[in-house]
Amino acid sequence: MFTLPQKNFRAPTTCLGPTCTQDLDGSHGDDLEGECSRKLDQKLPGVGDPATLSSDTSYLSSRGRMIKWFWDLAEEGYRTYHMDEYDEDKNPSGIINFGTSENKLCFDLLSRRLSQSDMQWLEPSLLQYPDWRGHLFLREEVAKFLTFYCKSPVPLKPENVVVLNGGASLFSALATVLCEAGEAFLIPTPYYGAIIQHVCLYGNVRLAYVYLDSEVTGLDTRPFQLTVEKLEMALREAYSEGVKVKGLILINPQNPLGDVYSPEELQEYLVFAKRHKLHVIVDEVYMLSVFKESVGYRSVLSLERLPDPQRTHVMWATSKDFGMSGLRFATLYTENQDVATAVASLCRYHGLSGLVQYQMAQLLQDHDWINQVYLPENHARLKAAHTYVSEELRALGIPFLSRGAGFFIWVDLRKYLPKGTFEEEMQLWRRFLDNKVLLSFGKAFECKEPGWFRFVFSDQAHRLRLGMQRVRQVLAGKSQVAEDPPSLSDPGAK
Amino acid sequence: MSHRSDALPVPSGQTRSQVLRDQSIYTQLLEVTRHLQQTMREHFVQLMSRQGLLQERRHTQAIREQEALLSRLLCQMINLLQSGATGGLELQVPLPSEDSRDDVRYGQGTQLSGQPDPVPQLSDCEAAFVSRDLSNRGIGIYALYQLSFQDYNAYQKDKYHKDKNTLGFINLGTSENKLCIDLMAERLQESDMNCVEEALLQYPDWRGQPFLREEVARFLTYYCRAPAPLDPENVVVLNGCCSVFSALAMVLCDPGEAFLVPTPFYGGFAFSSRLYAKVELIPVHLESKITAINTYPFQLTVDKLEEALLEARLEGKNVRGLVLTNPQNPLGDIYSSDSLMKYLEFAKRHDLHVIIDEIYMLSVFDESITFHSVLSMKSLPDRSRTHMIWGTSKDFGISGFRFGALYTHNKEVASAVSAFGYLHSISGITQHKLCQLLQNTEWIDKVYLPTNCFRLREAHKYVTAKLKALEIPFHNRSSGLYVWINLKKYLDPCTFEEEQLLYRRFLDHKLLLSCGKAYMCKEPGWFRLIFADELPRLKLAMRRFCDVLEEQKQDLIAKQLEDAIRE
Repeated sequence: MFTLPQKNFRAPTTCLGPTCTQDLDGSHGDDLEGECSRKLDQKLPGVGDPATLSSDTSYLSSRGRMIKWFWDLAEEGYRTYHMDEYDEDKNPSGIINFGTSENKLCFDLLSRRLSQSDMQWLEPSLLQYPDWRGHLFLREEVAKFLTFYCKSPVPLKPENVVVLNGGASLFSALATVLCEAGEAFLIPTPYYGAIIQHVCLYGNVRLAYVYLDSEVTGLDTRPFQLTVEKLEMALREAYSEGVKVKGLILINPQNPLGDVYSPEELQEYLVFAKRHKLHVIVDEVYMLSVFKESVGYRSVLSLERLPDPQRTHVMWATSKDFGMSGLRFATLYTENQDVATAVASLCRYHGLSGLVQYQMAQLLQDHDWINQVYLPENHARLKAAHTYVSEELRALGIPFLSRGAGFFIWVDLRKYLPKGTFEEEMQLWRRFLDNKVLLSFGKAFECKEPGWFRFVFSDQAHRLRLGMQRVRQVLAGKSQVAEDPPSLSDPGAK
Repeated sequence: MSHRSDALPVPSGQTRSQVLRDQSIYTQLLEVTRHLQQTMREHFVQLMSRQGLLQERRHTQAIREQEALLSRLLCQMINLLQSGATGGLELQVPLPSEDSRDDVRYGQGTQLSGQPDPVPQLSDCEAAFVSRDLSNRGIGIYALYQLSFQDYNAYQKDKYHKDKNTLGFINLGTSENKLCIDLMAERLQESDMNCVEEALLQYPDWRGQPFLREEVARFLTYYCRAPAPLDPENVVVLNGCCSVFSALAMVLCDPGEAFLVPTPFYGGFAFSSRLYAKVELIPVHLESKITAINTYPFQLTVDKLEEALLEARLEGKNVRGLVLTNPQNPLGDIYSSDSLMKYLEFAKRHDLHVIIDEIYMLSVFDESITFHSVLSMKSLPDRSRTHMIWGTSKDFGISGFRFGALYTHNKEVASAVSAFGYLHSISGITQHKLCQLLQNTEWIDKVYLPTNCFRLREAHKYVTAKLKALEIPFHNRSSGLYVWINLKKYLDPCTFEEEQLLYRRFLDHKLLLSCGKAYMCKEPGWFRLIFADELPRLKLAMRRFCDVLEEQKQDLIAKQLEDAIRE
């Protein structure tokens, strides 16, 4: 059965597939809850299962109705944005998108590289059914690439690589082969909310949240700090609720916090997982988007010795680091051959074109271009955009978190919510949208404190300027603030 | 379309009857092995605690590795035995073989049979290994895949090449059209194909880029001869027809519900429906014999559909739809518009969805035959329950492109299938190429299709002439990339076990075919042979084919002689 966990049903914004996938996470949270209760009231008073909605007229199965119901709500928001997308010339009053985590700063570089003659190669085997793990030439390049850029102490092996059409597919496949239906992964929140949809749609796998808070207490050194104690507690809680936890998902660099885990922290989390025989999926999709040198990011593949290599599975993709979310390329690296083969077994549903595989191999092997052209330029542009947005926020006296990784700033707008509720968060989000700027709100990341928003800054300067201007307008109109704004340590503002 | 070789969920290794015969031995063995495993575990626990005290870490590590290896081996043994003992299990795992198939599976032609090499032995058992790390369904997926694709994977690792690997596999099992690669390569290298636009590199509309859906709608309107222009809003494009089928099965059925399928039937969908959607396929068995009701072999009639549906319902199955393939795979039959209408009316009568796979619609190579797409019908009996699938894999010979399209008049279904878009998405760059390809109807009509049909016809002629010379009966049709051949006379007794052995014999001669069992065919002895390959390869393949049958014939004679002498 396709059943959504009760918790998620109550907080359905996190389940919106494409919206979340595209990070327009917030688009319809309130609508969903509203819709849900409305429909339930009209048709099935007292029944809490949306799967039974309008079953009399539907051509779909009950899981099909459920899937469509969530999808439509999500899709509606996505379409709203796309119907009124900002364009400098054609639609200057259209919506500016600070919600979707895409890097739009380096298209010029990429387009030049992808148009070079080496990209146009074609041979018969590229047009035919592939090895479902991915063409060997590509897996070899991926292994070399990860060895180099993750600073692996030993050369990584092509047989541990499986190539798929995107991170979403990889989450889906891993969830399916590692968990039974109804089992769960632990995940620290706030987190990239689309993951629930990825693991749920086919796999019917749940997430058990490790709630983090902004307040720095006890031994914590920074807001939203993940500690082993918190992991232990969440795990115990899940067990006490009868939820079987099979693994832990870590996103590093973190989304939406823009934070990175230190190697020591990473090691602690891995040891925790090993102690409880949990798989660890480490999503490193932003690993090359660390634009401040001081951050000192370390990939899990750089660790000298993994506590439990057979249960450690690493994800990477070109969507973020190479700004090509439309290219649909992601890769799994795992030493566990059973897991690799089981994921590969699902690859005929998640395969990508041979020609694209060839292009990816060409791109990944061109270390000269990556090191000398792409990365320096990309980092410089990310840094400039980040500086602009963070200075704007500082000028507005708005606290935020961001340590120099990823495309986003985690912004604390709690002082603009007089009652500090999620309803107000939603209202504020709507007000932004009414003023033609799309953001993602904290609820979509399962943040437990109302009032946080994610600002994506990896966009062209003119759009950033206009977007920030619209943000200022909304906040100025909301300046009658709660008397006693909650305090927050603000490393980002330092 | 995904890999349509469709290799076969057939247990390799020992036959079921053998297994049953040896069942009591297995049970005992099982006990012993379990005991052994227990003992070993305790032993290692002791060893390790002692080593821990002595702080000899390195030693401990070595012991741990040893333990892991041993316990893995033992797990494999147990699982093998268990699977052997329950021969009827669907996910039967390959038994460790003493036969000569090792080289096939590993593409190591040099390996001696009967002399088990420890390393391949390990991987040989991989499917049987109950992994500690996978979920049960993960193990199921793993095992099903290994069974279905191990021979295909062997082929991938040891492909025939005219200079570099003359002893490699020739694949007449996977349904791929390799006859027009020259034309496609030329077309794909034209300048309009290479476009890098910002929108192509960013998150797409998950139903497919609007420009591609518009082109697909136009293309289908034209080539399916739709009475009215088709609507791009009714199109969803995903990365392959199996993905489309999988998503459809998810949204049309709840787990455990079923579709009716006339068999023999393309095995890849069986794989798809089982893997993710947990939807059952209920066969409507067709027969080769011509009778009063069967005017031609394997004829599908409404009576047979009614009967199968009734039977399924009596068994408490909730049947949600009917799956048709037209042109049929593996038969190559084309449904007349009358028959098609009757099937659709049958479905409407019972509120069944119809999923109709027309992936071979442009691969009809006899001009005197007219193919009727379901989209060409003036009035569909049940528009809202008729869903058509098409892709470029077969008709354009580009299975590596990963493209499949759904056309449905039902917006609800289209929208629900879209929810799977991000799990089955196609690269923007590929979407652009596909759009360019489909758009150029002049090239398709004047260059590609005539050449493709001509080459298909020639290849078909060559293969069927050979078959006639060998006096092998076959289903003589003029569509698709395959001939459905009857090798019953080479089987004695005529059983699926013997079919499997013959299949293995082809493999031993580095020839990959697909056998009838993989298509859920009720009668043993049928094989599907792909002819859409270049002539030199095809010639060599047919030589190997003849060699195998000659060998098989000699064996049969020898066996009959032996039997005669014994009597």
